[in-house]
Amino acid sequence: MAAFAQLPSRRQEPIDGLPYHIGISDGAPWIELFRTGKGYLLRFPDLADFEVSADGCRAWGAPVPQICDATIEALFLNQVLPRMLSRQGKLAFHASCVEVAGGAIAFLAETGRGKSTLAANFAANGYRFLSDDTLWLEPGGGGYLAMPSHPSIRLWPDSQGIFFGSQANTASSSTAKGRFLAGAEFAYCEQPRRLLAAYFLGEGQTQQPSFQLLNPSDAMTHWLRHAFLLDCEDHMLVGAHFNQVATLVNSARCLHLDYPRSYEDLKQVLSAIVDDVSTESLKI
Amino acid sequence: MKLTDSIAPSPSVVARDVGKETVILDLASGLYFGLDPVGARMWRLMTGGMALAEVCDAMIEEYDVSRADLERDTLALVQQLLDKQLVMIR
Repeated sequence: MAAFAQLPSRRQEPIDGLPYHIGISDGAPWIELFRTGKGYLLRFPDLADFEVSADGCRAWGAPVPQICDATIEALFLNQVLPRMLSRQGKLAFHASCVEVAGGAIAFLAETGRGKSTLAANFAANGYRFLSDDTLWLEPGGGGYLAMPSHPSIRLWPDSQGIFFGSQANTASSSTAKGRFLAGAEFAYCEQPRRLLAAYFLGEGQTQQPSFQLLNPSDAMTHWLRHAFLLDCEDHMLVGAHFNQVATLVNSARCLHLDYPRSYEDLKQVLSAIVDDVSTESLKI
Repeated sequence: MKLTDSIAPSPSVVARDVGKETVILDLASGLYFGLDPVGARMWRLMTGGMALAEVCDAMIEEYDVSRADLERDTLALVQQLLDKQLVMIR
C-alpha cells in the first residue's frame, strides 16, 4: 500500500521552482507541494521534507535537525500517507471514524472542531474507533468500507483528562495534542466496516444535537472539501476521484450535525448519534 | 443563443448524478457546481444531443410549467453554464 523510510535529518534547502500548492494556516505556509523529476516533494517548513514516488507507493522523510521522530510519524500518518493513498486512486479524507451498529460512521470537519473528541467520546463508552484523523475508504460491502487507521487518538490537553485521566496508554506526540494508544480504556476496531453515515460537524451553534440530511450535491461538495488529493492538477486522477466521491454520496447517508461544545453534553450527543444510526439501520 | 442551438459539455467538465441532482466539476478551474433535480434533468437532456427546443418539448411533458416560462428558464440556465464555461454551443 505505502512504504515509508526515514532519512537522516537535514536542513531544508531552497527548492528550484514554485510549489504547485501551498497550505496556509495563521497566515503562514504549513505545507508546500512540489513536483520533482521522480515524483513529489512535500515540505513542512521547519519540520520535515517528504519525497513521494510518482505512483504514491513510497515515501522518504527527512526531519529538520532537532525535530523528533514522533513529529515525523505524525506528519507521515496524518498528512503524507493520505495524500499517497489519493495518488494511488484511493479515497482519503480528514475525518475520524467509529464503529456503531456493526458499521462505521465518520465525523468530518476542519481542524479543531471536535472530530477526535467525538471519536474519543465513543471509544471511552465502548464503541471501537477506526481512525481519529484520516478516513481511508475502499469500495466493498455494497458501498464503501472504512479501513482501520493508526490505533491511536490525539487529543488536546483539555480533552485528555476528561476521557482517560492519568491511566491512559500514551505515546509521544509532536504537538500540544497528546497521542493515546488504543488499549483497555478504549478499543480499536481492526476490521474494515461498511460506512453507514458521515456527519459534517457544525460550529456548535445549538443547544441540542441537531441533524440535517444534506442534499446530494451539498453532500458531495462537503466530501470534496475534506478530501486529501496529492495531485490536483492530474485531471485524469481528479476526474476519477470525483466519480468515486459521487458513488460514495449515493451509498452513505450524509448529514450536517451540530451540537453544544461542552463536555457535560457529550454523552447526550453520543446517544443522539447512536439513535440516529440505529433508527436508519432498521430501515435498511 | 437560440432555442435551435444544441450544447455540449466543455472538454474540461466532468458531471455525475448524485441522487436526483447533478454535480459538475470543471477540471480547468477546480470549481464545483450543483444542479437541483430540475436543472439536473435539463442538463441530461441538453448534453444528450437535443436542441434546446427539443429539451423544452421533453420537459413540458414532465413538469407543470408554461412553455414561455420553460423556454426562459432553459435559456437562463444555458447562459449561466456558458458564462462559467461549462458548456459550449455545438
